[in-house]
Amino acid sequence: MDNDYHRKLVDLYAGRELPSEIEAEMEIAAHGDAELAVDMASLRQTVDTLRSEGSPFTEESYQRILTKLLIRGAAFEARTPDPAHLQYQLPIQG
Amino acid sequence: MPNDASRDTLAERRWIVALAEGDPSALGGLYELYGERIFRYAYRMLGNRADAEDATAETFLRVLRRSAELRADGAFRTWIFRIARNLCIDKLRQHKLMELPPDAQYPGNEDRSTLRVTVQQALDALPPEYREPLILCDLEEMGAREAAELLKISVPALKSRLYRGRRALRDKLGTHFERTYGQRLPS
Repeated sequence: MDNDYHRKLVDLYAGRELPSEIEAEMEIAAHGDAELAVDMASLRQTVDTLRSEGSPFTEESYQRILTKLLIRGAAFEARTPDPAHLQYQLPIQG
Repeated sequence: MPNDASRDTLAERRWIVALAEGDPSALGGLYELYGERIFRYAYRMLGNRADAEDATAETFLRVLRRSAELRADGAFRTWIFRIARNLCIDKLRQHKLMELPPDAQYPGNEDRSTLRVTVQQALDALPPEYREPLILCDLEEMGAREAAELLKISVPALKSRLYRGRRALRDKLGTHFERTYGQRLPS
């Protein structure tokens, strides 16, 4: 199969949207085509870099936003989140 | 708001109903659930911690003011993100007028902070039509359908912008990747 076909799939490869067998086929094709290989690897790394970005949210930001809310008229106390088992609908048993 | 009951959790629905019925303390529950996500989105959009905190607070105040409109019909997340998005767009317009510098640095692991700053600077340099799909789909891991709904575009248009945005970001990060791969990236 020619590499034009594989070049059209690079975006899907980068986002891990391809079935595993086509992904493996892409990787085999990349062995014989350096440009395709760099395109696949660099684009996937771009996506992986974004997806692995840590959260910039800090305790200080949490408190400052809370203070802004209270100063501007919201009336509540910070709560702890519900336990995980209350956050999802469980199937009815019995 | 469109109906997609699968999106809201039980706790979220309870707080939405309580807030709609006039219990302002329910906003605290929604802040616990959504505060971090809205802040992250605003921070990525604005590149500035102070503005992101302000936009996050204003988002929740608008939720409170419009609480009578709230329905636990599964679309709350899209709705609150849309409020945050509109606020961010307003702030970006102000930035453009005032030419405020972005503030991409924040405390954290020093090994990652350089890459974070690089990524944030590269995001800041992208046109908004590419930046937004990247923030929503890759950073916030929102599904394509929901992100398209939020941006009021079709799913194919969203995917097209997402793919172009990734390539544009890759090009902005070119120096970093060219060092890694030892050759120029395909154009």
